[in-house]
Amino acid sequence: MFNRSGAGNYAYTSARVKAKKAKLLKEEDYSKMLMMSVPEISHYISDAGYSKEMADLGNRYEGLSLLEYATYANMAETFRSILNSSTGALSRMVNAYLTKWDFENLKTVMRGKRYGLPTEEIREDLVPAGILSMADLDKMLALGSIEEVLAFFSKKTHIAVSDDAVSFYKTTGILGKIEDVLMKEYYKNLLASIDSGDRPTQIFRTYVKACIDLKNIETVLKFKADGLSGDVVMEYWIPGGTEVDEKVMSQLAAAQDIPAAINEMQQLRMYSEIKDSLSQDSTVLDIVGVIDKYTVELANKVGHMYPLSVIPVVDYMIHKENEVRNIRMIAHGTDSGLDRETMKKLLVI
Amino acid sequence: MVVESGVADITSGLIAIGAGFAVGLAGIGAGMAEKDIGAAAVGAITEDSSLFGKAMIFTVLPETIVIFGLVVAVMAMFVL
Repeated sequence: MFNRSGAGNYAYTSARVKAKKAKLLKEEDYSKMLMMSVPEISHYISDAGYSKEMADLGNRYEGLSLLEYATYANMAETFRSILNSSTGALSRMVNAYLTKWDFENLKTVMRGKRYGLPTEEIREDLVPAGILSMADLDKMLALGSIEEVLAFFSKKTHIAVSDDAVSFYKTTGILGKIEDVLMKEYYKNLLASIDSGDRPTQIFRTYVKACIDLKNIETVLKFKADGLSGDVVMEYWIPGGTEVDEKVMSQLAAAQDIPAAINEMQQLRMYSEIKDSLSQDSTVLDIVGVIDKYTVELANKVGHMYPLSVIPVVDYMIHKENEVRNIRMIAHGTDSGLDRETMKKLLVI
Repeated sequence: MVVESGVADITSGLIAIGAGFAVGLAGIGAGMAEKDIGAAAVGAITEDSSLFGKAMIFTVLPETIVIFGLVVAVMAMFVL
């Protein structure tokens, strides 16, 4: 009756993330930030929960760099504290969800090395929120070639990239295949970590599967914008989605151009949810933005339904990621002189 | 235990067992309810210590069930 050690401490972790969620920036905060300069934004977020990181990094960086490092450091610290405070099945699911950042960091390092960016510039975009700590990421940054980086990653995370993908990179210099393998591996591991059959965990599984669908749709749209053929698009299909199975994906991939692909999308249930936000002259970037907003809405819909489950935890992590993305977008936009209306459109709340 | 003409009178013993069950089961029920509430309360206080007062009230709320159990036990022992 009392042996529930494997289930996870949902009550404790959910209460913590709910208290954390109450402190996240609101829409009116973003409206204020849109009127500010970069130093003012830095000051504003210092009062909104980022003070420790701003103070810690204040003597090493300044301006936009300080803001970037501080926001990512804060997010990483927050996610690590959630991971450390959770136990059992909850911890396994949070851990699998957070490995996303390991994959993201690996992609950032590989891309940076591929295009010969300075180490400091690559480091700016790293988020040590996954299994790999900042010390591990620094070691990875210090390595010379992409093969060495992949070997280091495989040693630390036990996730290996297939030889095919590596040899494809060696012959063409294109990282696409390796990144695709990583993405597939991430979703496969995440789905495998969700093994409980209770209702909220099933909802989380449905959410992950919906995310896979949206990722596949994004792939189709981006590849069609570049005019690539259906066969090439199919190579990048991620299995495991709810609606976009191999057959549907091949239909989407076979579309001649973006309008034709959108036409094919009408058979999907999610299309009815996003069609009002689309227009005739929507660019791929606009559509991807709409899909991102839909993903957040999806999380919002179920976020409050099962308080003692993994859902509020994932819901909070999604909102925290969006907060950091929004702050960085406003800071970058303000720094480069982007107009407020465009920035407002890019906000995901 | 009173023995009259070879038959044991176990009434008072059964009343005592009933009273024990009333308090004991109510206590177990309250404990089960408080387990999650207490964990959530500690989680909330970790993030925001100003919630201590509210969290404390919610944590002890299931204790009322034990009071009901105690009342039943007292009634069983002294009223029946």
